[in-house]
Amino acid sequence: MGSQPRTAIPAPPRGFRDILPTEARELRAIERALSDSFTAHGYVPLEPPMVERADSESVLAGDRLMRFLDRDGDLVVLRPDITTAVARLVAQRYRDATGALRLAYFAPVFREQPAMLGAEREYDQAGVELVGPSGALADAEVLALLAESLSRCGLRGTTIEVGHVGVVRRLFDDLTVDAREVVFADLRRGDRVGAFTHARDGGMGDAAIERARTALVARGRDVEGVHVDGVMELREVIDLARELHPGEALWGVPNLALMPELPYYTGVVFEALHPESGFPIATGGRYDLLLGAFGTPRPATGFAINVPRLHLALFASGWRPSRERALVSLIPGSDPRQAARLAARLRSKGVAVAIGAVAEPAGVTVVSAEAIDGERLRLHGGRVVACDDLARELA
Amino acid sequence: MRPLRFALAQGLLLNEALAALRAIDLDVSRVDGDGRQLVVRSGDVEYLLARPSDTATYVERGAADLGIVGKDVLMESGARLLELVDLRFGACRFVVAAPKDALERSLDEYRHLGSLEVATKYPRVAEEHFRRRGIAVEIVKVAGSAEVAPQVGLADWIVDLVATGATLAANGLAVVEEIASSTARLVANPSAYHLRRHEIAPLVERLAKWAECR
Repeated sequence: MGSQPRTAIPAPPRGFRDILPTEARELRAIERALSDSFTAHGYVPLEPPMVERADSESVLAGDRLMRFLDRDGDLVVLRPDITTAVARLVAQRYRDATGALRLAYFAPVFREQPAMLGAEREYDQAGVELVGPSGALADAEVLALLAESLSRCGLRGTTIEVGHVGVVRRLFDDLTVDAREVVFADLRRGDRVGAFTHARDGGMGDAAIERARTALVARGRDVEGVHVDGVMELREVIDLARELHPGEALWGVPNLALMPELPYYTGVVFEALHPESGFPIATGGRYDLLLGAFGTPRPATGFAINVPRLHLALFASGWRPSRERALVSLIPGSDPRQAARLAARLRSKGVAVAIGAVAEPAGVTVVSAEAIDGERLRLHGGRVVACDDLARELA
Repeated sequence: MRPLRFALAQGLLLNEALAALRAIDLDVSRVDGDGRQLVVRSGDVEYLLARPSDTATYVERGAADLGIVGKDVLMESGARLLELVDLRFGACRFVVAAPKDALERSLDEYRHLGSLEVATKYPRVAEEHFRRRGIAVEIVKVAGSAEVAPQVGLADWIVDLVATGATLAANGLAVVEEIASSTARLVANPSAYHLRRHEIAPLVERLAKWAECR
């Protein structure tokens, strides 16, 4: 483990961590692939602030937020997601915009987590929001963009499960509004036992309960057997998305069991799943109610990719970032002026040069070369090579 | 892909859980609650024996795909997973209990001091209950035998899990109110439930039928 420091060096607070150079390089590669994909579909980057006022609308319960008082005595919050910030920003800056707003981001978010669960309190989210259009083509656009973005990163074997909150809502149409809210709260928590108990208590008949029970396990072909408004729309969205991004066979699977935790979703919802991850890699869907909370009711849909989970799934399935060109570690000889000249010349030919030894290559190949004079270098094995020849070899 | 992994809570629920799995024709003959082997492969399924609260953690994080665990454990853990079937065994109740002869005195004390001390092994369930009821309490977390706490002056009341109520009675305690009832649940990791539906759905269906016929 190397030498022990004499005093303990404090680690970062629980749930925060250093991203060391090798991983940081991999994350950069992911960020590049994602932002290329977003750009190709007309999405423009957006960078909301890290901190928001805590009294504005929030999608998470108070105990999941990292809040503190600033010097002005205002309660502020480290942003727990970007979607809420986008909703606020649309209300402030694009209140009168009539066309479609296509926004993309790649940014850290902060969520309070209980101790001892191995959960991170800061992680990168990448995603898009499509504000304005509604309908199958808009839903399909965002769904296909998620599939294409994950595949551009090199992830194979992903399925995107596509559900529909509106269909699930219609299954419980017999109930009063209040009773339905109780059932929906159960479903969002994943508690099907509670949901059906409460539905029965709310006066839902056996036939309707049986119908809902069957619908909530329907995935793939079985969905066609569910005769509720919205099921055809679900199929249409997936078909359109497959036109937009053919990708791997059957990447989009209709699945009425899908029920997101957050309450603001209204229509088509989806999750990207991968066999290497016990949690969804990305979640998204139509959330027509959130912007209304900021006084600008407008249809909206989008998704957020959990970047660390994407990175883990990529890594577990053997992905490595494409190799960067080798780095020359140039060891100066007796004349520093000659070493400086060599470095400048190599760099002018597109070769990366670090002067002196390299402690952290971050996965990049390092070619060690000692300056002999202003023209020649001696490589690690003893071979002597002219500066321009070395540049050509490494190009 | 690894075999479907089924986490089973050790302890009181295990025998009935195994009986349920046998009843739907799964081979659990090599799963032994007293043995040292905690991971047992049998056919297409791998069984994992774990402490009840760990069962919820394994399933939540996807280390296991399915699990059988008490609702009481789920309530206390707060784990996010899919509760699919009420298996209807292992019935018990979360209750608030107080010394039989001192209920009035403790209520007087509540009016006087404005707060009650509640000893419990289940701080999350207790806190949530009293918050919903609007009663100010101080939770004292103990690792076992909360029922002695009022006797020795550690706390005024307790929140505990009871099956028959015999332990409460033996310690001179009476039920003040019931918080929730609990039975064993079939649970699934949501991602696994979606991705491995063709393997999981038949098991869910058979277990639901089995539970209904009991």
